[in-house]
Amino acid sequence: MSDGATQPVEVDARVEDAASGGALLELRDLRVDFRTAGGRVRAVDRLSYSVASGRTLAVIGESGSGKTVSSRAVMGLLPPTATVSGSIRFDGRELVGLSDRQMRRLRGAGVAMVFQDPSRSLNPTMRVGAQVIEAVRTHLDLDRGAARKRAVELLALVRLPLPEQRYHEYPHQLSGGMRQRVVIAIALASKPKLLIADEATTALDVTTQAQIMELLRDLQRQLGMALIMISHDLGLAASFADEVVVMYAGRAVEQAPTGKLFAHVRMPYTQALLEAIPRVERPPHARLPVVPGRPPDLAALPPGCPFEPRCPNRRDLCRESDPPFAEGEPGHRWACWFPCASEASP
Amino acid sequence: MRSPTARLIVYRIATAIPVLWGVTFLTFLVVNRLPGDAAQQLLGINATQQQIQELRDKLNLDQPFLTRYFDWLGHALTGDLGRSFASDQSVTSILNERLPVTFELLAYALIVSLLFTVPVALLAARKPNGIVDRITMATSMVGLSVANYVLALLLVYVFAVKLEWLPAIGYVNPADGIWPFIKSLTLPAISIGFPLFCFYTRLLRADILEQMQGEDYVVTAKAKGVGPWRVLARHALPNSLFGLLTVVGLNIGTLIGVTVIIESIFSLPGIGGALLEAINNRDILVVQGIVLVLAVIVVLANLITDLLYSVLDPRIRYGRAAS
Amino acid sequence: MGAQLPEAEPHVATSALTLAPAAGEPIERRRGWLRSLDVVVPGAVLAFLLFLFFIWPLIGPVGRPTGGNILNANIEPWSSGHILGTDPVGNDIWSRILYGGRSSIEIALTVQLIGLVLGGSVGAFAGYWGGALDLVLMRVLDVLIAFPALVIALAIAQSLGPSEFHTILALSFFSVPAFARISRAATLRLRERTFILASRLSGTSSPRVLLRHVAPNILPQLVTFGLLGMGVIIILEGALSFFGLGIPPPDPSWGNMIFDGQGILSAEPRLVLVPSVFLFVTVLSFNLLGDALRSRWSAL
Repeated sequence: MSDGATQPVEVDARVEDAASGGALLELRDLRVDFRTAGGRVRAVDRLSYSVASGRTLAVIGESGSGKTVSSRAVMGLLPPTATVSGSIRFDGRELVGLSDRQMRRLRGAGVAMVFQDPSRSLNPTMRVGAQVIEAVRTHLDLDRGAARKRAVELLALVRLPLPEQRYHEYPHQLSGGMRQRVVIAIALASKPKLLIADEATTALDVTTQAQIMELLRDLQRQLGMALIMISHDLGLAASFADEVVVMYAGRAVEQAPTGKLFAHVRMPYTQALLEAIPRVERPPHARLPVVPGRPPDLAALPPGCPFEPRCPNRRDLCRESDPPFAEGEPGHRWACWFPCASEASP
Repeated sequence: MRSPTARLIVYRIATAIPVLWGVTFLTFLVVNRLPGDAAQQLLGINATQQQIQELRDKLNLDQPFLTRYFDWLGHALTGDLGRSFASDQSVTSILNERLPVTFELLAYALIVSLLFTVPVALLAARKPNGIVDRITMATSMVGLSVANYVLALLLVYVFAVKLEWLPAIGYVNPADGIWPFIKSLTLPAISIGFPLFCFYTRLLRADILEQMQGEDYVVTAKAKGVGPWRVLARHALPNSLFGLLTVVGLNIGTLIGVTVIIESIFSLPGIGGALLEAINNRDILVVQGIVLVLAVIVVLANLITDLLYSVLDPRIRYGRAAS
Repeated sequence: MGAQLPEAEPHVATSALTLAPAAGEPIERRRGWLRSLDVVVPGAVLAFLLFLFFIWPLIGPVGRPTGGNILNANIEPWSSGHILGTDPVGNDIWSRILYGGRSSIEIALTVQLIGLVLGGSVGAFAGYWGGALDLVLMRVLDVLIAFPALVIALAIAQSLGPSEFHTILALSFFSVPAFARISRAATLRLRERTFILASRLSGTSSPRVLLRHVAPNILPQLVTFGLLGMGVIIILEGALSFFGLGIPPPDPSWGNMIFDGQGILSAEPRLVLVPSVFLFVTVLSFNLLGDALRSRWSAL
């Protein structure tokens, strides 16, 4: 092979199947298209991953990478202009194609979600307690007294100080960190098996961020949930996730258990993300490395690799042909013709 | 320690005062500063010089403008708005007689239109661009484009003349029977209320949709598994009602103007009729008094709306607690 | 007349009023002109009506709207020389409709233009400069808006006597503050945007900023508001004329035609119906056009 590109091994789908036998959530070839004024836009393309109970998966990417859309697809919270195809299996049940009514039974009870901006994700005209109770009573048949007790328990569970008092307050009376705890309490109300945290800490300051992440990890262990954390912060993934999926332009471009990934990053994009994390050891006033260029326009994707215009390793082949997402090493998948740290890369 | 709400209330009231004053001045200006010898016009062409001069003295027309203004204002503040030339009835008593009828009509129209607005807007917002929504939008567009005096005439033609279900003119005092009272005000209330309903429905629907499509808390609610009707009614609606409330308050001025027309068509003994009569009789003091009172009512209505808004919005009411 | 059409800004207590934006528009792909149907249809109707009112009487066989012979009273429609018949005084209804339409639209257009230029500029200044000017202006606006517009219009019209000019004056009392509010609100929003800041930082003088940056950006909104307000003004003018305080009889206005036809509504409904229909179609077209343009331009 004279061109020097590594030829990753294409893994048979059935082999994959056997390997992921214990998965709580399994995405297979998920595609989400949006009908827009400019035509059809594919926001998520052939995404596959799985999460088992008690495990944490990090989905990392820039805005527009499809990470949020894919999680909304799992919850069935996409707008009517979206078309979902492929497979989403949760607890053995196929979710694609379910009616809204059927999905509603799952939302909150099976799968719950925590959103990014706690100042906007709580109803400003409804007291905190009422919002938690609503979550409780939607799925559990409790009378008011019992529901109220449970609501206060939940607020205590998320380590909200003075839960009895906060119960009667309005969201704007709480700080950002406290609000996010409330949002988490709401998500946990019906004992979900899977919690999706969509940029849950992005809008918070660093200290609070750490606290919330710790809280999530502790809760996960306590309740035996699966956790999907969606973020753009690879550093966060390093600290908290068992497995990482990196997304770009709607598709998965690298996927591996955390240890393996950081030991040996393959995809240049992931490498760039890694380098973009500010580090204490760097000399002061040094320029922060950024990923050059901008995320691609999903409505006008080039035929080859979508990262090509910004990639330091790029070659002609990259522009012409889309690299397959395949398992180059056991447990480690990537989509790149010229991955990092291989003998043939320039 | 003053709560932020109290401070807000005081501020709003304080700003309303110069506005009120401006209103009195403008009223006086508009009615009085206009060309032509008022006394002459009042008495007609055949009046003698002496009669004209008598009237001028009586009205203090020879005094400078500002003197007259402050004179009138001073009396007005003590409740004396003068007397009508035509009937020699005191302006205040005319107001006392006529205002209640106008209020009743307005209240009837507002309540009925709002009662329909909320459910219809919800139904329309439930499925944007669905059948109900399209019909609602089309109907409301038509309803907005019909002049209310035209609507009034049509209603009279259909319901009073042809079907004889409701009276065409006349007002029945509630003391003389609640049901006839309501019937006498129904057609006028619909003439005012229907275009209002069309307008409010569009507004509320748009606001609800903005909430439903743009706000994160709606997604949170859905993510909890809350059903679509509850999300609409318990989450989106309360937040949208603020907008509607503000508009209703701000619209009071226009509404009063509309009522004037409708009262005339239906011969209702309200303030509108009194105003028109006074205008036709060139009864300056009555016109002044009525315009003043109406304008003051509008300013107060705006003030109340502002205050209500401050009180109802928990973000303003409770402020930020120490976190 | 719920149609004092607001731009609902619920959190600004002194906001102005226009028709609520149509949220929930479907993002569909239609072929070019078909997609613009919502603009084309009312636009075409309006163009036709404008032609009818302004141009047709100059070139076509249109009778005189006044000075009818009482002997010609109450002729049936479709008679020779009188397509729509005559009224009880002998005037040709068709020509009264046309001339009345012309007056109504003339007045409404003038009023809205005055409002746009005067109110728009004042509002923009207030919004742009803020501070004391803004405060004072807002209070003045509050005073003006506090007056039930129709009431003031009636009072003015009565004191000055009915005429087209006085009607315009009276109605401007109403449109200028309305435009000022909208313009101020739009300018305030615009001021926050970075390109304004950028041009000021680069040294552009204030009047230049206002003219070259603020004006073109608030203009679409003002125009839309103006279009939506046309219907309101026409209806208001009709109301004034209805009471004999607008266009003075015997000159025709749809308003006074409707008034005249009131008494014999049962016997000869067409005297009320014909001007009502024209009034309705005209107002509806303005509303539809304004609404369509607003949903296009608010996307910007």
